[in-house]
Amino acid sequence: MIYFAQYVCSGILLGLLYSMVALGLTVVYRSGRIINLAQGELVIVGGFLIWWFIVMTPLPQWWMGIIIAFALMGLLGLVIERAFFRPLIGQPIFSLVMMTIGLLLLLRGVVIATFGAKERPFPQIFSAEPVVLGPFSFDSALFWGGIIALLIVLALAWFFERTKYGLRFSAVAEDHQVAQSMGISVKQSVAVAWVLATILGGFASIVFFNGKIVTFLASEIGFRALPVALLAGLESVRGVLVAGIIVGIGEMLAMGYLNPITNGGMANIFPYIVMIVVVLFKPQGLYGWRVIERV
Amino acid sequence: MLPCGTFAERYEQDKAIVRTKLQWGLFIGFLVLLFVLPSFLPIRFLGMLNMTGIILIAVVGLQITTGYAGQINLGQAAFLGTGAYMTAFAATRLGLPFWLSIPIGGIGASAFGTIFGLPAVRVKGFYLALTTLAATFVFYFMMLRLPWFGGERGIGVPAASIGGFMLTSPESQYYLVMVTTVVMIFFAYGLVRSRIGRAFTAIRDNDNAAQILGINLFYYKTLAFIIGTFFAGIAGGLWAYQFRFVSFEQISLFQSLWYIGMIIVGGMGSILGAILGTVLLRGAEEFINWLGPLLQQASVVGTGVAFAGMYIVLGGIIILFLIVEPKGLTHQWNKFKVTYRLWPFPY
Repeated sequence: MIYFAQYVCSGILLGLLYSMVALGLTVVYRSGRIINLAQGELVIVGGFLIWWFIVMTPLPQWWMGIIIAFALMGLLGLVIERAFFRPLIGQPIFSLVMMTIGLLLLLRGVVIATFGAKERPFPQIFSAEPVVLGPFSFDSALFWGGIIALLIVLALAWFFERTKYGLRFSAVAEDHQVAQSMGISVKQSVAVAWVLATILGGFASIVFFNGKIVTFLASEIGFRALPVALLAGLESVRGVLVAGIIVGIGEMLAMGYLNPITNGGMANIFPYIVMIVVVLFKPQGLYGWRVIERV
Repeated sequence: MLPCGTFAERYEQDKAIVRTKLQWGLFIGFLVLLFVLPSFLPIRFLGMLNMTGIILIAVVGLQITTGYAGQINLGQAAFLGTGAYMTAFAATRLGLPFWLSIPIGGIGASAFGTIFGLPAVRVKGFYLALTTLAATFVFYFMMLRLPWFGGERGIGVPAASIGGFMLTSPESQYYLVMVTTVVMIFFAYGLVRSRIGRAFTAIRDNDNAAQILGINLFYYKTLAFIIGTFFAGIAGGLWAYQFRFVSFEQISLFQSLWYIGMIIVGGMGSILGAILGTVLLRGAEEFINWLGPLLQQASVVGTGVAFAGMYIVLGGIIILFLIVEPKGLTHQWNKFKVTYRLWPFPY
């Protein structure tokens, strides 16, 4: 029983990490129905930038490195919007999603070319000591990261649902043309969405890589977060918390109880099974918008 | 647009793909060229050509699913891998000859692909991309754990043979690949002009409208997946006989993206586009493979840059085509054809 409880608690923390990555997908999706397949690469780019500025450059304080890395990530978001997505305004969604695939490949190539295909040790930002709560012990990065994720999701949900500025983005999420004719700048909100996505990628990379090894192979986290965004409903900001926790707990339970039966690997494909089931039975997710289409 | 002076007097003429005597001449000349090619090409090029043919089949299948029927498929490489495994299984465990085990690979890939294509019936657009993305990971999981696929070691495949003659040399494999490719492309050309192909196009353009016109969405969307993944499976079967070895390491998500890149470059919704895109990107791939080590020897670039170069070039090409020519090379080729047929008149 204690194992079960430990799996559930670790699952919640893992799920919060997923929801941080999935939030990057959600904000981009809301900016124009783009499923951003490159979110995992953004996490990798964030990881390499932070590694570079903390380990390789002689900055007096480690937090300066993080601030510079985050500024660069934000800049990357602006560049992505301006160079890759603004020329595609008015193109079918297929082109937009293919563009994220092009972006994925390009970012991966650039990362390998600049930082090398070697594995890099990421600095220990959160202490290596596990956080102990009662009978349970947690990885400290995941624990504090989970709290950060919780705060970010609640803050963004408040921003999108309660502030006047944020409600404009919801209008853009619903329909570009309508939003435009109401005097809302679509370009601006797409740019803000990409900046948010890149910065969220930076946050996720700190939590994900803390004290571990940075390698471009870890970008699969972007795909593993897709089921979370999908289960939440791609438009829902608040929903990624619930969905992330569900997928995280499921994955940890699969790791604990199914992996011994299938000789490992069940935990790895669990999120994808969730994805197929969600698409088959509830494509709009838990809190997504039901769109009625007319010919 | 047809060349000047070409008129159809009978329905057969109107339906024909090859319309003029010149086209017939070029077509037959091209087929003859394909047959005599091995006699004057170096072995190394022959190997590349075999690989191109195999990939071409998979890309034509992807073109049918994605380009014609509009159902996004980001797992074509996994379906190719399934076909390769099924063929290897049929050839080793069941001891079937290659002309039976390759179609079995196709059917196996179809069955696997249908699982991931079924959600297409419920959802549209990019949700589907997500389920097919999962296909690659499920493929790894299954092939490593199912007992009869050799696990991490992979399976060795016996050489294909016709009446005691073993197809082991690159030349003989070339003929196997080439004949299969020509047959499959011929089939694809016919298919997209048929009732099924027209239904696919209608679904791609607007599936609600297509349904109102009386097109059975469930049937045709599933069919698009069955046919597209069948092509991938056939390609996988050839793959198994080409390498004589099948392993999960030969398949990656990157390849599926590479195939998508090929149809973007060639042009969506055109078999010719699939051919153009495959040949061009395969050429680029071989060029980088050739150039990378050369540059490294000359110490112009460090190790790893050649590896990165592949990603940068492919990503760059996809981005460039999406921004500059989203209709692909086929569009340019068609525009050029109209211009030279009308020349010297502007229209």
